[in-house]
Amino acid sequence: MSSEPIERRVSYMGDRLRGRRCLLCGKEYFEIRDYCGRCGRKSFGKMADIDLFYDKGVLEVCTLVNNPTNKFTKLGSYIYGVVSFHDGKIRVPGRLTDRLIRDDEEVDLSAFEGRAVVPRFRRRYSVDKADVIPTISLAFTFADEHYPHQEYIITKPNKEYNAPGIVGYGFYTSRFRIREGKMVRSVPYIDEDAITAAVEAGKMALIHSGVDSTLVGKVYVGSESNPYAVKPIASKVAQVLKLGEEDGDVQGVDAVDTEFACKAATSMFKDAAALVSYPRSDIQYAMVIGADNSQAAPRNSPGGELDLFVGYGGCAYIFGRHDVIAEMEGWYSCTSDTPDFWRRDGQPYPMHGGRFTGDPAYFKHIRKAAKKLMEKLNLKTEDVSYFVAHQPNVRFPSRIARELGFKEEQYLPSLQVAKFGNTYSGSSPVGLAAVLDVAKPDERILIVSYGSGAGSDAYSFITTSQILDKRRRQKLTVKYQAENPFLEYVDYTTYRRLKAGM
Amino acid sequence: MQNRPVIIAVGRTRFGEHYEKEPERLIEEAWLNASEEAKIERKDLEAGYFSDYFLPITNKLGLEEGFLSELTELHVPMEVTRSFSSALMNACNAVQAGRSNMVLVGGMEKMTDRWDKIRDDLMLLEDPWSYYAGCTPEANHELMLRAYVKKYGITGESLEKLNVALAQISVKNHLNAMKNEYAQYRRKITVDQVLNARKSVKRPLGLYDFAPISDGATALILADEETAKKFTDDPVYILGSSSATDYLTFSARDCLTNFLVSEIAMKNALKTAGIELWDIQILELYDQSTLMEMISLEDLGFCERGKAWMHVYESCQDYKGYYQIDGRKLFVNVNGGLKADGNPLGATGGAQIYEVFKQLKGKAGERQVKADGELKYGCVLELEGFGTKGYVHILGRD
Repeated sequence: MSSEPIERRVSYMGDRLRGRRCLLCGKEYFEIRDYCGRCGRKSFGKMADIDLFYDKGVLEVCTLVNNPTNKFTKLGSYIYGVVSFHDGKIRVPGRLTDRLIRDDEEVDLSAFEGRAVVPRFRRRYSVDKADVIPTISLAFTFADEHYPHQEYIITKPNKEYNAPGIVGYGFYTSRFRIREGKMVRSVPYIDEDAITAAVEAGKMALIHSGVDSTLVGKVYVGSESNPYAVKPIASKVAQVLKLGEEDGDVQGVDAVDTEFACKAATSMFKDAAALVSYPRSDIQYAMVIGADNSQAAPRNSPGGELDLFVGYGGCAYIFGRHDVIAEMEGWYSCTSDTPDFWRRDGQPYPMHGGRFTGDPAYFKHIRKAAKKLMEKLNLKTEDVSYFVAHQPNVRFPSRIARELGFKEEQYLPSLQVAKFGNTYSGSSPVGLAAVLDVAKPDERILIVSYGSGAGSDAYSFITTSQILDKRRRQKLTVKYQAENPFLEYVDYTTYRRLKAGM
Repeated sequence: MQNRPVIIAVGRTRFGEHYEKEPERLIEEAWLNASEEAKIERKDLEAGYFSDYFLPITNKLGLEEGFLSELTELHVPMEVTRSFSSALMNACNAVQAGRSNMVLVGGMEKMTDRWDKIRDDLMLLEDPWSYYAGCTPEANHELMLRAYVKKYGITGESLEKLNVALAQISVKNHLNAMKNEYAQYRRKITVDQVLNARKSVKRPLGLYDFAPISDGATALILADEETAKKFTDDPVYILGSSSATDYLTFSARDCLTNFLVSEIAMKNALKTAGIELWDIQILELYDQSTLMEMISLEDLGFCERGKAWMHVYESCQDYKGYYQIDGRKLFVNVNGGLKADGNPLGATGGAQIYEVFKQLKGKAGERQVKADGELKYGCVLELEGFGTKGYVHILGRD
């Protein structure tokens, strides 16, 4: 049983950790109240909005919960406590997330207390499969671990570029991994899904770009693992990240989900770029997110071959014409009705067209899109600094790169699938992020996505000098997330349990 | 207090699991118990003040007043609140105001009927944000303990002693319950058992630190002074009846190491009763956890802040049936407390009052305490939620 109005109110406040501060006495409330309890009537109209979404708190005291109430049992054991913000002016309850506590583990609570924590947007607890999914940001991780605290500093738009392009980006994946052979893959924590990854990626793109979230006029979220058949991820992203101008409890932003297997996000790059260039749109920035908790049937069952490759993560790009780090030089897309991979409505896992997946699908479309765009822009392989392809495994992108005449130094920097697995809609975008993390100004990046069903989008980007200026704001780079010392490796059973979620 | 309300009789059921009984059988048993003691007929009752927290949830019983009317065939004013103390307070108000001369106060709870969901139900006593963040019925007790230890800088040997002191509270309450024929747990436990239970769950407090899930009912009959004279020559008065309220959200309170409501309610109750703190010799505290008993000793003013554990520890080295605090005797939870007597929420306060009443009357049987001098005053603290509401009742004889 659930109550949608309660759900709406709780997530509106709890996802962003909204509150109010009395401008008269300074008291802060984790509550949207119209007057201060201490100051009374005279404080009407003198309450300022606050939110703790980008803040850093302190875990004051905590305890171990290993006998959770019924809706929390899937979390297993967790740490629960009191988190204070603003030097103790405001205190909220919270649980630590991203922490698997084994039954035989010794837990030293004092080792946790007094440490800085960062709020994380997560699922709240388990509900019936037919119910609205409850979310909240009263989940926290330590600021000195896998996920550092990053300030969100809004910078005024400065230089206008001739061509639209990428203004900022963010890549998010969990800190859990499964390693099988040479392949390491990201595994979501049990309270994560495609929605939480999309929000995290978007949050990091805002931090990296310095773009004022109220100037983002459109957000597209591409995913094939939205836990809802009907209800957009984009609306959640828009509200949690406060995209567009806020008016009452409504965001002045257009938000829409897109779906085209693994190219659901890249397909919208050109739409975003076009939108910010159209003089009458009044939209300065548009955000495109690709996020997936990539689905796969268990091994040894139909569709189970995907289980060796699927990952988890999200990637967000902000497009605009100001302070661009990579200008969009051109694009080409192609499509054919090819049933190489699909998931019927109501089915939990996708099916896979076996041998159909290679030549008649992946290679045909990527080859076509890459060649056509290079022809169109009159490019030779040596004009391209980096080549990024959709990466369902290591073999496919390497083969197509070589076939097109690219050398290792051109395509290897983008090849991330062996570190995170196939992040479906986030797959080629992660490759692009890895390249943007290291590219110098005035370099050309050719990215070609692939989506089953089937089609490809090819884009050429040329980096600008601002890529270096903004880089210091990107703490959670692709490399950092692949190599940071707080990664935790899990076994196959745990991987399936975490992936199945709450 | 003017026109002091008098408790004429008390009654209760055994606390524990009553899987064979509907809630009405329990409250009936408690009421019959009390009415027989005082030879009272149903028709003598002019109003009923009842308490339960969860009957609408556990037994799908809404509008409990109607259900009680069917049971008693009474059509008098009836009100249902959550805790027994709140019902008693309303009853006191009615009697003092002269609206009623004799009323029934009753409390009941049937928690074991929803054994698999009752811990979720208990979260209704916390704020929703704590619940959403993963709080459990036990977690806030543990957080308060952690905050207490930090605030008073208790480390090393002192910390060990504090942990033992909390264990001793449980051991002491179990020991007391051995003599209570109504208690849920009438068996001895050891300090090691309490400590090991904490160790096995790797938490600051364990199974033996917390009061159990219980079924049960309690009742008392309250009358004004004039009416009471027909029933007793040795009246037990309610001299002070007071309550206070604090934030529902524990984490938002100014202080995480005490219950403000207990402190305020006690001050006001003492004032109305016109007695001094240490006139009170017997005390029933609301030990939903061993920590609550310890903290309450400080909240009510019997121990200095940050020091209650020392008095508990010293008293329990060679436990004589009471805490010794600065050379004075204080009998605490002689019925076994919530820990061992049981904690059927809506009925719990009734058992606390029951005990103090019996003790003041000198009718507590083998539990009867041996106070220094005449046993005149007793006090009951009941909390609702994790210190969201606090009720203090001071009982006394002339």
